Amino acid sequence: MNQPQNPLQVHFKTLLLAVGLLRKLFAQASRGPHRKNEIGHAVESIGIGSLPIISIATGFTGLVMTSEIAWHMDFALSNVSMIPGFTGQFVLRELGIAVPALLLVSKVGASMTAELASMKITEQLDAFKLLKIDVVSYHIFPRWVACILSTVCLTLISITITLLIAMITAVTKYHFNSQEYLNTLGQFINSMDLICAITKAAIFGMLIPPIASAYGLRCEGGAQGVGQATTDAVVTATLAVITVDFILTAIFSALL
Amino acid sequence: MIERLNLYLERSGQAIVDVLHEFGGAWLFMGKVIRIYRKTSGYGKPIIAQVAEVSMRTMSTVIFAGVFVGAILVLQFDAMLRRFDAQALLGGLNTSATIREVGPLIISFLLAGKIGAYTTAELASMRVTEQIDAVESLGTDPIQYLIIPRFFGIVLSSVILLSIGLFVSVAGAVLVAQSFSGMNIYQYIASIPRFAGAWTLFEGLVRSTLFSTIVATISTFKGYTASGGARGVGKAVTQSAIYINIYIVLANFISTSLLEWIHDFVYWIAGILGGLK
Amino acid sequence: MSIRFEEVHKSFGPKKILDGVTFEVKKGEILFILGKSGMGKSVTLKHIIGVLEPDSGKIHVDQFEVSSMFTEQGRDLLPKVRQRCGMVFQHPALLDSLSNFDNIAFGLRTPQYREKIGREPSVDEIDSIVREKLKLVHLTPDILSLFPGEVSYGVQKRVSMARTLAPGPEYLLFDEPTTGLDPLSTSSINELINELSRTLKVTSIIVSHDMACALSIADQILFLDQGKILLMAPPSEVVKSKIPLVSEFFQETLSLLPPDWRFE
Repeated sequence: MNQPQNPLQVHFKTLLLAVGLLRKLFAQASRGPHRKNEIGHAVESIGIGSLPIISIATGFTGLVMTSEIAWHMDFALSNVSMIPGFTGQFVLRELGIAVPALLLVSKVGASMTAELASMKITEQLDAFKLLKIDVVSYHIFPRWVACILSTVCLTLISITITLLIAMITAVTKYHFNSQEYLNTLGQFINSMDLICAITKAAIFGMLIPPIASAYGLRCEGGAQGVGQATTDAVVTATLAVITVDFILTAIFSALL
Repeated sequence: MIERLNLYLERSGQAIVDVLHEFGGAWLFMGKVIRIYRKTSGYGKPIIAQVAEVSMRTMSTVIFAGVFVGAILVLQFDAMLRRFDAQALLGGLNTSATIREVGPLIISFLLAGKIGAYTTAELASMRVTEQIDAVESLGTDPIQYLIIPRFFGIVLSSVILLSIGLFVSVAGAVLVAQSFSGMNIYQYIASIPRFAGAWTLFEGLVRSTLFSTIVATISTFKGYTASGGARGVGKAVTQSAIYINIYIVLANFISTSLLEWIHDFVYWIAGILGGLK
Repeated sequence: MSIRFEEVHKSFGPKKILDGVTFEVKKGEILFILGKSGMGKSVTLKHIIGVLEPDSGKIHVDQFEVSSMFTEQGRDLLPKVRQRCGMVFQHPALLDSLSNFDNIAFGLRTPQYREKIGREPSVDEIDSIVREKLKLVHLTPDILSLFPGEVSYGVQKRVSMARTLAPGPEYLLFDEPTTGLDPLSTSSINELINELSRTLKVTSIIVSHDMACALSIADQILFLDQGKILLMAPPSEVVKSKIPLVSEFFQETLSLLPPDWRFE
């Protein structure tokens, strides 16, 4: 795939566009129009459409990770009484948020880019311009709001699933009583953890659509261009999620 | 309401059927590629060229991600261990978790985009612009000419990249542990061997190979079987990224269970042998 | 020596593309396949070179039956058919990662070509064949070192033709050779097809929408509609045909031509 420009420059320009899009989206969020019907449809396709995949994937990941952590704790401290607290914290602070966000990048982000990119190269976006329709407020905004709502809900669902699985692992493998497990868990996690989780998820949901859309809008040159744009969007959004996750983790661990 | 529910049930049923259908298709495709590879020869050079190209293109991204993955984990574990006053264990715990579980998983998610989606995009646009048909009509098997070098190139380079990514995240974790949590580097490193040994490395390697094969199979399969113009390319790339991620998650679960059994079995045998002595 | 279709059926999912197609092209003829879009014209061509497998029916290329080559044993014979056929695709379908020279030489570096001439072609030989074919499609050697992305669409089409001609096929299959070109390039490509068919004495099958071109250079014209053959006849009979779609096509073409144009 031949690229005439320096790829780093292209990524940088696209990221600038994404920042611009984010600003426009916030502006529209504050003054409207909010297009509630469109948001409803988008929630249906983004949120409910991703529900089976996210719950299966996070379920299995949670199964593996929590039993790993439990094993490590058992091995390191020869003390299983801390398993509920330890796994609960890890799920609530990291695992239950990062895994669904990374999956949503390829499920939702990639398809947003592919959709916009094929609209761009089939000149549908030019048709929008002629009709004086703003693609940001018409097309991207409802999906953005839907993506934020869906990411938060899916994160909460995946945290619940993972915690449930962690509890089952603890009960079956380390002979906890489920009541006892919940009691210990309650001592270690509090509402602040939950607020942090929701904040993180909302920020991830806020980031994915502008990045995906920016790559879609800047797509050039036929079928090859669509493929290239989608690939770039997935990679950049994944890196953005990882980087922002680090920053947020650092901030929250300093605060708490 | 009931109708809606029915619709969702129907859709999720359809989704399950689709996933199984894809899975079977990918499996058959991999079988075909390996069969043709074993029947023919002369792939040395093109495979090495692919390995070099893929590794060069992906290296910087993997290193970048690796550092952050290591950093995130060390922050989380540090916060948790501090509560139990067990910070001395941070190095070992973090290294073991990075190499065995979290590292391969997160870096593979990245490779799904950087290598998997890229290869699918490349092959799918060759497919929809009839380049693959042209290769075939000129008397060259596209599987031999296009797929086999990419398939094995991706498997090899992903293993290399995952190893580098894991190394970088372990190293990055050391730096973060020192600068953010004020850990003593020597204390950190000293606690590593307690958790992570040869078996940990072996597990990391097995998992990396498994994930690499998934990336290679799904990306070439989705690209090779794409159809329907620019829209088709977009669809193939999206599906490739998401299917690779799902299969990696499932493979992660299966490999962990299997490796646990193998681990127990090996130590059981070793115990018996030790007892005999 | 001919290409023969016998009762070929093909459907994609519920959609029937070919519904009992039977025809024959004799050696040295130019056959045009006309019809509305999406009526199975390109699919017909892809059946000849064995890229697609028919649901039922038989396809013969010379003494070989292509339709039986989709089994493990039959596959070995497929190169023999593809050796005889060269296909020019609708898009230029040049490999982006290879230079124009390597694209044209692609067919000369395959095991299939080695088998055809019975030895490994030398570097000089490949070079001279590439230059010779380049002259045939009226291109200059300065484009050889460039990549397909760096030359115009019309040049890409010609490079693609040169690539198809390089291994010396006996049948040339063109899939909409003039789609997406301006009128000047279109007429020069049509002339080129005519010239190639007459000078190289190859059999050509051309899928097209261009009735005017078909009337001027075809030996036979075949109309496909809804997967069935409406008519297969030489141009002189096509002009007189009373079949609705055929006469519509003809009237439409006439309206585009100057009023004093006559079919000779």
